[in-house]
Order: sequence, then C-alpha cells, then structure tokens
Amino acid sequence: MGGYGDIQMIDENGLRMDGRTATQVRPITIETGVVPVADGSCRMTWGTNDVIVAIYGPMEAHPRKIQRQDRAVLDVRYNMAPFSTSDRIRPGFNRRSREISKVTADALESVVLLELYPRSKIRVEIEVLCAEAGTRCVGLTAASVALADAGIPMSDLVVSVASGKVNDVVVCDLNKEEDNYGEADLPMGVLPNSGELVFLQMDGDLSPEEFQTAWDYNIQAASEIHKIMVESLRKGGVD
Amino acid sequence: MTIPMVSKLLRNHLRELALNDQRIDGRGRWEGRDVSLEVDILDRAEGSAKVTMGDTIVYAGVKFQLMTPYPDRPNEGGLMCGAEVRPVAGRNWEAGPPSAESIELGRVVDRGIRESGCIDVNSLCIIPGEKAWQVILDLFAISDDGNLFDAFALAAIAALKTAIVPCEKFEVGEDYPLSVSKTPIMCSYHKVGNRFVYDANAQEELGGDERIHITLGDDNHVHSLQKGLKGIFSADEFAEIMERAKIKSSELRKLVDSVLGD
Repeated sequence: MGGYGDIQMIDENGLRMDGRTATQVRPITIETGVVPVADGSCRMTWGTNDVIVAIYGPMEAHPRKIQRQDRAVLDVRYNMAPFSTSDRIRPGFNRRSREISKVTADALESVVLLELYPRSKIRVEIEVLCAEAGTRCVGLTAASVALADAGIPMSDLVVSVASGKVNDVVVCDLNKEEDNYGEADLPMGVLPNSGELVFLQMDGDLSPEEFQTAWDYNIQAASEIHKIMVESLRKGGVD
Repeated sequence: MTIPMVSKLLRNHLRELALNDQRIDGRGRWEGRDVSLEVDILDRAEGSAKVTMGDTIVYAGVKFQLMTPYPDRPNEGGLMCGAEVRPVAGRNWEAGPPSAESIELGRVVDRGIRESGCIDVNSLCIIPGEKAWQVILDLFAISDDGNLFDAFALAAIAALKTAIVPCEKFEVGEDYPLSVSKTPIMCSYHKVGNRFVYDANAQEELGGDERIHITLGDDNHVHSLQKGLKGIFSADEFAEIMERAKIKSSELRKLVDSVLGD
C-alpha cells in the first residue's frame, strides 16, 4: 500500500492499466497432477503468478508431540522461490512466509475433514515460482484444488481472491502495480457452495460503502473462479 | 533428507535384474528417461529453464545483483549457484536449512559450469574495483524421482543461455544477453546391482550403491567429477562410463542447442 494517489491507474473509460474492467479477474489456468511423486498436486497460473502445490499424506505425524489424538494436523508451508520476484529472495523462511503459511493452514483446517485421520499429518507444500500480486490467494485456492486431487475429503473447496482500491475506485483482483500503489487490499477465502468465509485479511483504507463493494466483488469473482477449479478437477478425473 | 529403510527385497530384486541385463523400469543400461527442456518460462527471472526427466522435474532461474569485485580480482564479476530441494519435491525431503544432499547438488553443478569457463567473469565487470555483476543461479526441484544432478545441470546451463543482463533496471546501460560460450553437460551413473547404469530413478538410487557424476565440455574436456555415497569402483568401470558420458553428453548438448535455436 504505497498510497501514491497521483499515479493514474484507471483511465477515463474506467479501464485499468492492463485493460481490465473493475470487476474483471486476471486470466486463470489450473492443471492437476503436475508433481508426479506427490499424492496430489496442482499448478495454478493467475495473471503472471505461477504457483505449484503438492500434497503428501495422510502420513504418520512426526515428531509425536505434534500428533492430535482426535484428528490429523495440517503442515502447510508457503514459500517463494528465490527467482520468483523482481529482486532475488534469499532462500529460507521469513516472517511473511510464516504468517501466510499460518493463515493458509487456518483456512484449510476449516474445510478438510481432519477427524477422519487421527494422529496423522497432511503436508501442503505451496511453492511460488513467479509472483505478481495476490500470491497468498493463489496459494490457498491452489492448495484446495491439490487436496481434492489427493482425494482428501473436504466440506468444500476454498476460493481466495482479493479486491482493493486504486485511485479511489474499488477494483477486483489487484495486479502488481495496483497492489504496490493502491490504497487498500482485502483478500478473502470464500466457500463457494455456502458463501461462508474461512480466510480474511485487510490493510489500507476503505469507507463502509467501498468495503461493501470490495466484499461483493470478491464473492462474485469467487463463483467464477470456482467454475475453473471444478473444471480442472473434472479434467484430472476427480468428481 | 530422510533416507527410508532399504529393503533387502529391493536390493536383491535389482541385483537379479542386473544379472539379466535388465532394469526395474525396463530401460537399457545406458538408456535415459525421456527428457524435455523448456526455456524462458518464468517472467520474474532474467533467465529460466524447466527440465523434465521421467517423473523428475526441476526449474532453474537466473537473477543478477550488483557487487563490489573482490580486492584480489578487481576485474571480475561473480557466479553463485545454489540448489534447493524443498519438501514439495518428495515425501523424504524435509523443511529447514539446506541439507548436505542439496548443498552437494548445488556445488557439483556449480563446479561444472564454473570450471568449463563458459562464463567470462571479466565480461561481468562494469567498473574495475568498484562495480560488477554477480550472476545468481538458483536450482529448484519440484518432483524428485531420481537423478536430480543431471536435471539440475541441464536446467542450469539452459537458463544461463537464455539470461538477459538487466542493465536498464540497475541503470548501468542497455540490457544485453549474457554471453555463455560453452555447453557443459553432466552425466551421472549409479552402481545398481553391482554395475553402473545411466540416469537412475528413485528406486535405483534407493537400492543402489555409489554414484559418479561427470561434467564434460564441448570438446569432451572434463570439468567436474564427483563420487558420492558408499562404494568401491575400478578403473575399468570408470573408463567405461567415461566413454558413455562422451556419447550421452553430446546428445544432450544437441538438445540444448535445438531448444535454444543455435
């Protein structure tokens, strides 16, 4: 949130720098089964974002102190490859990736039927190979597809998408410039079948009306993205 | 990396197959898995490549940083090569600081490229003693079904050959392609069932013994060797795989050239 309001990112026709309308989402592709050695996996491209998720498990939970007697634990790791951003990232965990891993785990634990696998562990490995903006949304969305690809029972998929504000206009699915120089960012994780939420963050400045618009944009975009997710799973042989 | 327990059944099975000149996946002794190479696939990297060898999949990405040349080498830039095998690549790879296995991977690939002299470090100098380019090559595995070494080495040289020096971003002139004058290629051989085979898969690595990595340059000059894991081998065995490496490396070099359109 740079808040540089003087950079013009919406033209006189209401179109954005990449030619999208306010509610339009960047192009999305999803392919399952991309990590042959994993139990489930998917690759999701979303704009210039390129994210791979692999699922391992359910497997024995190690060390034993992390085991839960009544349910499985989710071991979620979000990581950005060193070459995924404009400036190289030093390999290794940092505060940002830790937080994103945690909120992603919190979201996924809300839908995965963990009680079916007591004392076990399910590993969710999210690797960002190329980052544009909204990688946490891509990671969470792709993780739910990969879990479905692994055949792990869930109450619903999770669709995550962010809306925000640039030049005082509420827009859906921020790109890199909009994310850097915009005035607000509201990422959400929506359960497409019930409309309920499992993930919510926000930073910036939104009026109550703007907030409602951003919220509605996210819900609307989620149902579009959900169709692509279901389509990719059908293509991969999962119903 | 946690090494899973190796069953005697697997070792015995591999030995019996070897006696009949067979391999666990039906390949011939010197036959590699299908290889595919894609380049320029990651927008944020200045050079990139993806290599698929059977079910082994790796990426390589090149980034550039400005550095101050070392005092004893004021006219030279630098090359840094690191490999990361994160838990995404397989159930036995663990999170945490780089394991000995991934450090070995990065260093062996690094030596093959560095010692071939394919990158002229003097050309990376911008202002002698003050400013030079550091080329950073990151190798990243997403699926490990054996022989990460060869996959990394192939992705590494292909990524370097597509790299563009980002002068405009750092305001030091105009962008230009990184000059890479040679194509060093690594070929790895594993002792499986008491004989060496080319391009071992994960099962062969698990139930096998020592491995030998050979990096050859354009003119069959040797640029790096590495023997890994427990095992004893004879001079004759080495001479045999060296001859095989000459044939295989020239095949793979042709693949690199054809993908890059040289």
